[in-house]
Amino acid sequence: MSLNSTELLDQFILEARECLENIGHRLLDVEKSPSDTGLLNDLFRQVHTLKGNCGLFEFKALEHVVHAGEDLLDRIRSGQQRYNPEIADVLLDAMDYTSSLIDVIESQGKLPDSAQERSRHLAQALRRHLGEPAPAAVQSAPPATTADTPLPDWIGLAPPEWRESGRIVVRYRPEADCFFKGEDPWRLASTTPGLLHLAVAPDQPWASGDAFDCYVCNLDLRLVSEAPLAEIEAHFRYVPEQMALWRMPDAPPEPALAPPAAAAPAAERSCVQMDLMNTRLQQIWDDQRRLLARSGVSAGTVASVRQTLTHLLICRDDPPLIAEARAALGRIAPGPVPLAQWALQYRPGGTDMDIEGPGQAAASVPAPRREGGTAAEDGSTERGQKVLKVSQDKIDRLMELIGEMVVAKNALPYLATRAESLFGQRELAREIKAQYSVINRIAEDMQHAIMQVRMLPVGIIFQRFGRLVRDLSKKLGKDVSLVVEGEETEADKNVIESLADPLIHILRNSLDHGLETPEVRLAAGKPAQGTLRVSARQEGDRVMLTIHDDGAGIDTDRVRLKAIERGLIPADRASTLTDAEAVQLVFLPGFSTSDAISDLSGRGVGMDVVRNAVERINGQVELESVRGQGTTVRLTLPLSMAVTNVMMIEAGRRRFGVPMDLIVETVRVPAEDIHHFKRSQTTVLRGRIVPLRSLSELLGLDNEARMNDDGELAVLVVRLGSENIGLLVDNFHGTSDIILKPLEGVLAGITGFAGTALMGDGSVLMILNPKELV
Amino acid sequence: MKNILVVDDAATVRMYHRKMLGDAGWRIEEAVNGLEALERVMNQPPEQPFDLYVVDINMPKMDGYTFVRELRRLPQGTQVPVLMVSTEAQPQDAVAAEEAGANCYLIKPAKPQDLVLTAALLLGDGPAARRAADAQLQGVRA
Amino acid sequence: MGIRYQKKSATLQGLVCAEDAEILLNWLKSKPDAAVNVTRCKQMHAAVLQVLLALKPTITGVPADPWLRTALNKG
Repeated sequence: MSLNSTELLDQFILEARECLENIGHRLLDVEKSPSDTGLLNDLFRQVHTLKGNCGLFEFKALEHVVHAGEDLLDRIRSGQQRYNPEIADVLLDAMDYTSSLIDVIESQGKLPDSAQERSRHLAQALRRHLGEPAPAAVQSAPPATTADTPLPDWIGLAPPEWRESGRIVVRYRPEADCFFKGEDPWRLASTTPGLLHLAVAPDQPWASGDAFDCYVCNLDLRLVSEAPLAEIEAHFRYVPEQMALWRMPDAPPEPALAPPAAAAPAAERSCVQMDLMNTRLQQIWDDQRRLLARSGVSAGTVASVRQTLTHLLICRDDPPLIAEARAALGRIAPGPVPLAQWALQYRPGGTDMDIEGPGQAAASVPAPRREGGTAAEDGSTERGQKVLKVSQDKIDRLMELIGEMVVAKNALPYLATRAESLFGQRELAREIKAQYSVINRIAEDMQHAIMQVRMLPVGIIFQRFGRLVRDLSKKLGKDVSLVVEGEETEADKNVIESLADPLIHILRNSLDHGLETPEVRLAAGKPAQGTLRVSARQEGDRVMLTIHDDGAGIDTDRVRLKAIERGLIPADRASTLTDAEAVQLVFLPGFSTSDAISDLSGRGVGMDVVRNAVERINGQVELESVRGQGTTVRLTLPLSMAVTNVMMIEAGRRRFGVPMDLIVETVRVPAEDIHHFKRSQTTVLRGRIVPLRSLSELLGLDNEARMNDDGELAVLVVRLGSENIGLLVDNFHGTSDIILKPLEGVLAGITGFAGTALMGDGSVLMILNPKELV
Repeated sequence: MKNILVVDDAATVRMYHRKMLGDAGWRIEEAVNGLEALERVMNQPPEQPFDLYVVDINMPKMDGYTFVRELRRLPQGTQVPVLMVSTEAQPQDAVAAEEAGANCYLIKPAKPQDLVLTAALLLGDGPAARRAADAQLQGVRA
Repeated sequence: MGIRYQKKSATLQGLVCAEDAEILLNWLKSKPDAAVNVTRCKQMHAAVLQVLLALKPTITGVPADPWLRTALNKG
């Protein structure tokens, strides 16, 4: 593949001549009417195109002249410089010379050696008319335009390899509080494209002793790069006022090609080749993350980011990781936030501190965080982005309306079907379906947009823990270290608010009953300081919160005794329980009341209350404990609360909804594959035994599960806790988005149902809570 | 076979991109400005969608930013990566490209293998990406 | 990830981020003879680099990143 191939060169010459001819005409026109912006713009565009084309071929001398002309014309067309006869002359000279250079290129295929000198002369003549050197609009220390600004003294003192011609030298002195804006200047400097040399020095001499603050940036970074000026400027685009650059003057004869890399042995070369590719991959990956972080990013862009990330993923060289990441990607909820978290999690080169960008909230640096007030106050404000204060009610109302819209749109497919089947209107049905898909997309976008407004980082609750742990452990004479991870994980506002109390209670339990005093710990061979670890992580469309302490674990003997005492379980049953099962007894209602609780754990609130609170927001609690080693509580919560995806099923001649996130699979099992043992039924699916329960029986309905014509029974496999249960139903129907309305008032006490939902056809669907039924 | 739409008002640039990207093994189509590009997109047969858009910024009738914004509202535009290639090198231009919804931004003149490498990564064409990285190392330009 | 502290040495591993800077600073102040091993450090935040440049502890090991190597004077 040849750039200087005749075909391309011919095209270049052709277009260049076209441009020059147009430029010539325009220049004459402009002389007659110097303030006609239409003419000036056209003139500028022609010169701009010409400059662009020259750049493709690295005809440097040509580019210099044309570039100078372009800059001058830009100022003229924007009114900062008046067109006058002198300028006209200089421009005409420059264009004539350019034309002659094109002729030389046509006959000789390259520029004459004299071109360098003459073009510099012409370029200077043009730039002399530019008036003020730097545009008043922009920064204080302007990035120098290449060949013009004199080199600073320190470059003369730098080693000779720094001063090779054509290189760009950069001096970057980040501002003192840049860390608190989420910047990492070392990272920025060391990832400069085409970086050849990099020197780090303190800007001021390092403070000594206590005066030294590691979070005040005091770096003076100097580097040399062989990348094009424009690329380097783009790399530093967010900190232009903190850096300055210069181009080392060109040596007279311009070599035709860039110096080839050393012909390294194949193996080493392939490593370097991979590095090159991976570096670029990582850059593009981070570009996508930055796109997702923009407020107001459109759904179309998010979809393109998703596609881009998928493509980047398959270019990586780690097949198991690719498979895992792809699977994870398939499970996340739509919208920018889950995608951004996925992108962070699977970032090549490991999860980064933060992406460079305008004022991203620094998760890494202890930046001042504001406690969650109204939704719009939280999180970072992008530099130059406006922030509005909005009252909670308005957001809630908006969310309600959007939720209703999400449900209402579901009526359209029904209507389309009716139009076709009842009224024979096939065309109309088709149009309704087409329009439905447009409305569907918009409704989904709206929903994700409002969810984004309501998403908050779990960190706002975690914040309180530090204090709590410190105070409590002091009171109880215990030494506890609190480790918090994943505070930036986000979830819906409602979810977070409902979590606060249960979490605090769990922590209190750990501090009070779980973690032992230093003496007891040492005697048990443990370190005197106990660890309480709270971590949050997003998994698919759920948030996982884990609270782990390395304390004494739950005393299963005491638990058994207490359960018997309170009459919650018969004595003989209690003794047959395994330890793991005994631990679960703490969830029984009425387990922990009055006397056993110290005043610190509160008003006799037990794990059953915690579980209720969590399940009320559609979450789950799991508890694991090992005697002498510690206890782990795992909370699984939905990412967002308003809209749930359910599958509709039929049982006992009635329809019910089952939340999709509980469903493992739907399968039709031939009657003969169902094993009956005493009064229970089971079947084998994928090599595992799955217990079966008839849904209509569980619901107290009369009819037995219906077989289809092939003698098969419909089984809905759901995941409850850590096992799978198969529910025998009559039939499966489609899935639908609904707004789950919990049962209220008199019906609130009924277990077995998570709530109701209003369907598109006006009917009410009962949504099941299988966990409570079984 | 991946399909790329190159949008630029300069014929030389279009040919240049066509050569570089075509040699890498992809099918190239051209449009001279944003408006024509949109028409192309809307009339593209569904079995031959575009997999990548390589878009200039300064064009008459409809510039690059506007094109990308409009593109993102079309079904054919939502899932496809956009690479903006422009001579503009001011900080605010890269930011404007992001705002419009471009996935990547390269400055003209891009080193030829850099353009191909970036396009290959955006297209998910691993072998082409490796070839481009290799070529870049050997300083191959001819 | 982060920094592992032992009696007389601290080992930087993988990604070392901004929060680690303050911890490392305090640790180094309390142990003037300690050594810092950087071989397994993939990336460090500027604040951490500042700590190493300002306090100048003994640095052992050679990091993979060539720029870090030069910055820490390790070849």
